[in-house]
Amino acid sequence: MTTDHDIASVRVRTLEHIVEHDQIWERVAAEYGVTHAVPPWKSSLDAMCDALDEEGSALPVLTRRDDEDRITREVYASLPHPENQLVALAHSLVARNVIDETELAARLEAVRARLDAGGS
Amino acid sequence: MTGNHTHQHAGTAPMVEEVTDFEVLEIALRELAIEKGLFTAEDHRRYTEHVEQLEPAAGSRFVAKAWLDPEFRRLALDDAIAASREMGVDWLHPTGFGTPSDFTAFEVLEDTPTLHHVIVCTLCSCYPRPILGMSPEWYRTPNYRRRIVRWPRQVLAEFGLYLPEDVEVRVEDSNSKHRFMVLPVRPDGTEGWSEEQLTEIVTRDCLIGVALPKPGVTANAVRPVHPAIRPVTSD
Repeated sequence: MTTDHDIASVRVRTLEHIVEHDQIWERVAAEYGVTHAVPPWKSSLDAMCDALDEEGSALPVLTRRDDEDRITREVYASLPHPENQLVALAHSLVARNVIDETELAARLEAVRARLDAGGS
Repeated sequence: MTGNHTHQHAGTAPMVEEVTDFEVLEIALRELAIEKGLFTAEDHRRYTEHVEQLEPAAGSRFVAKAWLDPEFRRLALDDAIAASREMGVDWLHPTGFGTPSDFTAFEVLEDTPTLHHVIVCTLCSCYPRPILGMSPEWYRTPNYRRRIVRWPRQVLAEFGLYLPEDVEVRVEDSNSKHRFMVLPVRPDGTEGWSEEQLTEIVTRDCLIGVALPKPGVTANAVRPVHPAIRPVTSD
């Protein structure tokens, strides 16, 4: 496992691309005239964090929280909350070799294709 | 795509009609975590319900009473608005929740051992707020709204609900004047239970149709902690 020291210095280009694309809730909500304060995936993200904390051992709760604090501050300082929380979790899982970056990139593409197939 | 292109019903909020990278990232991470055995889809659904802390108390009591009282059940199926009044919910004056547009045709969808209902609002986020409270956030996402009508079994599986092939799945699409709530089949193992006991197992997700009531499973139950089925270990 990657040591704590290395976590913030690991570059995850897949996540950097997402940051650059800048589809943050604040911006898209304003574009569509939505006033809800948090994005619709926020409660699902919270539940994912709870489930990781309670149901498994891949990313212990204190490690996850420490990573989140450090990574949001040191790597994704430009992102608002809760986008920074989500990206920090992804960064932490990749940097700790729980999820492979190539695997994540492939899944992002597959999920995007599936959701776009739903049409509009 | 920009501008005023969102479909809106009176009294409902506008929606973001765009799949964002962050929504995709949340789903991708969740799917990979489930596949790696870090938690199950059913775990995730339960935690989401807990996180949102909604209390669809009237709807839960409504179903429990319908299970116990054949006369109330008939009323619920014939005139759900009158049955709601017996539960203290007046759709004409839904204090606390909703808007005048929530005065609608309200219908209770009766599940059977071979028929399962699930509700959605494909156009926006119509929901039986007077009786179920505020809708969960996922109910308002394009992901759920678009896909549940096309691939209901796939989407239900993402909530941890796998239905046998011989169970027909019927998706009811809500709109500004027509709202629905699911009346699930009373599960085995609840014989002799009181209305209060039954109410506890009728969670919000059961009333939407993305979960089935089970003895011992309540929104406020102590959640079991167990190791991952296929834990990820470091090399």
